[in-house]
Amino acid sequence: MMLLASDTRYGNWLPPQLSTHGDKIDHLIFVLHVFMAVLFFGWGVYFTYCLVKFRARTGHAATYEPVKGGASKLIEVAVIVFELIVLFALSMPVWADYKNKPPAASENPLTVHVHSKQFEWQFHYCGPDGQFGKTDPKLISTSNFIGLDENDPNSKDDLQFVNDCHLPTGRPIRMEIFARDVIHSLSIPTMRVKQDAIPGMRIPIWFTINKDATTANVSKGMVQEFPLARTTWYRIRHHVAAQDYKNKAGDIIVKAGDYLGNDLASGKEIIQKLRDAGNETVSLRPGNPLEIVCAQLCGNNHYTMKAQLKTLTADEFEAWQAEEIKKKNTELEVDF
Amino acid sequence: MSGAHAAHSHAGHDHGHDHSHGHELPFWRKYIFSVDHKVIGVQYTITSLLFLLFGFALMWVMRFQLAYPGQPIPLIGKMLGASLVDSTGVLIGNGYNAFGAMHGTIMVFLGIVPLAVGGFGNYVLPLQIGAPDMAFPRLNMMSYWVYLPGGLIMLASFFTRDGAAQSGWTSYPPLSVVNIGGQTWWLIGMVFLITSSLLGSVNFIVTTVQLRVKGLSFFRLPFFVWAQLVTSFLLLLAFPPLEAAAVMQLMDRVAGTSFFMPGGLIITDVVQNQYSGGGSPVLWQHLFWFLAHPEVYVLILPGMGIIAEVIANNTRKPLWGYKALVYSAIFLGFMSFIVWAHHMFMTGMGTTLSTFFQFTTMVISVPSIIILTCFIISLWGASIRYTVPMLFALSFLPMFAIGGLTGLPLGLTASDIHLHDTYYVIGHFHYVVAPGTIFAMFAGIYYWFPKVTGRTMSSLLGKIHWFFSFIFINGVFMPMFFQGMAGILRRQYDQSYQLHGASAQGLSLMASWSAWCLGLAQIPFIINFFYSAFAGKKVGNNPWEATTLEWSAPSPPPHGNFATVPVAQCGPYEYSVPGRKTDFLPQNPALEA
Repeated sequence: MMLLASDTRYGNWLPPQLSTHGDKIDHLIFVLHVFMAVLFFGWGVYFTYCLVKFRARTGHAATYEPVKGGASKLIEVAVIVFELIVLFALSMPVWADYKNKPPAASENPLTVHVHSKQFEWQFHYCGPDGQFGKTDPKLISTSNFIGLDENDPNSKDDLQFVNDCHLPTGRPIRMEIFARDVIHSLSIPTMRVKQDAIPGMRIPIWFTINKDATTANVSKGMVQEFPLARTTWYRIRHHVAAQDYKNKAGDIIVKAGDYLGNDLASGKEIIQKLRDAGNETVSLRPGNPLEIVCAQLCGNNHYTMKAQLKTLTADEFEAWQAEEIKKKNTELEVDF
Repeated sequence: MSGAHAAHSHAGHDHGHDHSHGHELPFWRKYIFSVDHKVIGVQYTITSLLFLLFGFALMWVMRFQLAYPGQPIPLIGKMLGASLVDSTGVLIGNGYNAFGAMHGTIMVFLGIVPLAVGGFGNYVLPLQIGAPDMAFPRLNMMSYWVYLPGGLIMLASFFTRDGAAQSGWTSYPPLSVVNIGGQTWWLIGMVFLITSSLLGSVNFIVTTVQLRVKGLSFFRLPFFVWAQLVTSFLLLLAFPPLEAAAVMQLMDRVAGTSFFMPGGLIITDVVQNQYSGGGSPVLWQHLFWFLAHPEVYVLILPGMGIIAEVIANNTRKPLWGYKALVYSAIFLGFMSFIVWAHHMFMTGMGTTLSTFFQFTTMVISVPSIIILTCFIISLWGASIRYTVPMLFALSFLPMFAIGGLTGLPLGLTASDIHLHDTYYVIGHFHYVVAPGTIFAMFAGIYYWFPKVTGRTMSSLLGKIHWFFSFIFINGVFMPMFFQGMAGILRRQYDQSYQLHGASAQGLSLMASWSAWCLGLAQIPFIINFFYSAFAGKKVGNNPWEATTLEWSAPSPPPHGNFATVPVAQCGPYEYSVPGRKTDFLPQNPALEA
């Protein structure tokens, strides 16, 4: 399992896995790839043997009679049996839970409405009353981007955010996904969650984030040394320095928690300065370790459609929510 | 058979008659608006190879943006139009999407299908069944002359103010309906291309059923002919729904209908009241994939047909499990109509529908495995000639195996949750169609080149072409599986914009450099192709010592093909029959003499 298991970092293999159902998906991916490798390796040995053994040469002729033997049938049957096992034992049960087992009310799920538009994710929280306030497209504005009707009593404790999503860990989350203009697809790679958002449809999904997978915890495990000689700015553009870096004169090149430049030119410059200061590696961690992205082509800026995901313990989440509601109501009072 | 034979002799007579006047045909009737299946086949081959090169070139530009996001494209950056690049020569998002949509469209609809069916099918199939031409020569000519305008319309869309279509080759509405850009041109082009395919497929079916020579029963047909026959049925039955859907989408764009448009759309915060609503974006996906999944087999079956011919010829023994191959191809064709929704697992599909489509998807893997098994068992006890066509054919086998195997995690809903719409998908289908089908096409070009020109291609240049293509094509597509695992999504203008994408950025560099080197690796082929056509070594009618009927015709075959009407005395792959002087027993006894 270790061979294919994701660790807590991003790289050239599966991203970190932080949801309760995700291990089963990774397990299936693992089983399938072991199967493929075994089959391909077996074929490869036979294939290579044939290429050498049966090459045309003087004194060697092909045989007309077809080779007999049950091995190929046996392998074919074995492949079919394997596929059926994978299908019925490893794929369908996971999918059935993913699709047919919404969290029960007794589990106190958090429901979030996710609205998607070119090129934003909007998150609508219903607040402690558990009731979503009415929305109306006519009310959409730069400050009220989902068009929430503040006159609706249910709206009082509702919160809305653009490209910024807070979720509690260890508590079931139910998202209802809407699209306003074209098809989008909500993808949270670290949660093994993906669901298209289709105009005219309201599509629910649910998942639970592992209890200890708070952003703070995850960040700690993601500190990584990058060799400066082989690292391009593109590779580390979402990373921040894990410590202060100074040049030989003692001036700060990059402070702990700062990004290494905000474009290619400034990034290159900082990387060069770090090398000039005698560093061979640089210790970095992702600035925002968890993202929600769009998986379905939705226009020219499709790639920019991403939201930061911040995971908090259930208590921290409640505190954050209460704070945000307080903030919103003071702002509204100021407005009046 | 007697009916088919009678029809054939009748047609043969007609053509003999035509032929007597053939040399009097003016140039434009002989080479431009020709009704000769061989000229049409060559027209299709040359046109589609040019489209393939163009579609490949679009990818060189896209791969630059992926490797070096936001940097100006060297050399050609500033020459591209304002719909593609900014003033500094950096590819813009719309340009990237246009190139992406057109790469897919061109490779599939203007490159591989016309090459595999219009090129190889047209040229080889009538010869392999001993026919003097296709059943409907004028329909055949029309098919090409509908295809070409379709292709030119697609190309022309690059030169319109807003550029070419930008909604992916899948053209999902509402995006495709509301997008600026050449989507209208794309839809009109598609109507032409689909019509062309339909005209061709009817012709292939009738020709195969009606024009086989005496003695050539169905189970004596070369596997290539079977593959083309099944392919034609797929084209005939799967394309009409897409043609209808394309017209419906066109109406949504230009005539204010709402076939695929739900009500209440809000675009850039403005309510779109011009759409009456009530349509379903998912309906388009069903109609599109109802074509596009059989289309996958349209892309691969003719390739398998070519591989069968090349393997039998170069192993010098009969194909193992010929009947199993034929039944598998038919079963594959049938099954390909009932797997389409596995492309749509993430649309919100529930367990009922997905259970059916997962199951059929697992079932369809069985005939593919049988076909591959037959090919590799055919190697046992062979006497393998490592000719250039055979090198491409042998490479096809493991490459197609990788393409097929990596379909498994995508066909199962649970693993598809993570891998859907990632580079894993891109790697998977490219392994099937690039080192799969395109290698098969190369095998076919090297194999039948002597028949078409009377000259053989250079073996040395061919081997250089094969070696570097094989290395670099894996360099392009193998990293994509890892990128897909890492979660990099397809159709991203800048993969490094997202954290997981940035972390796997090194693989993008590897794929890009491999893609450019793969381009260079095609130079020996291009030189070889043109040099050999005019100055290659002259060879006889049957340089590969092959058995099937096309090799008993003169090289190149004249209008009407055969000097005398051939007959078929045996099955297609009678190699190394015991007790004979030569190691091949031709289907046409005349070839032995």
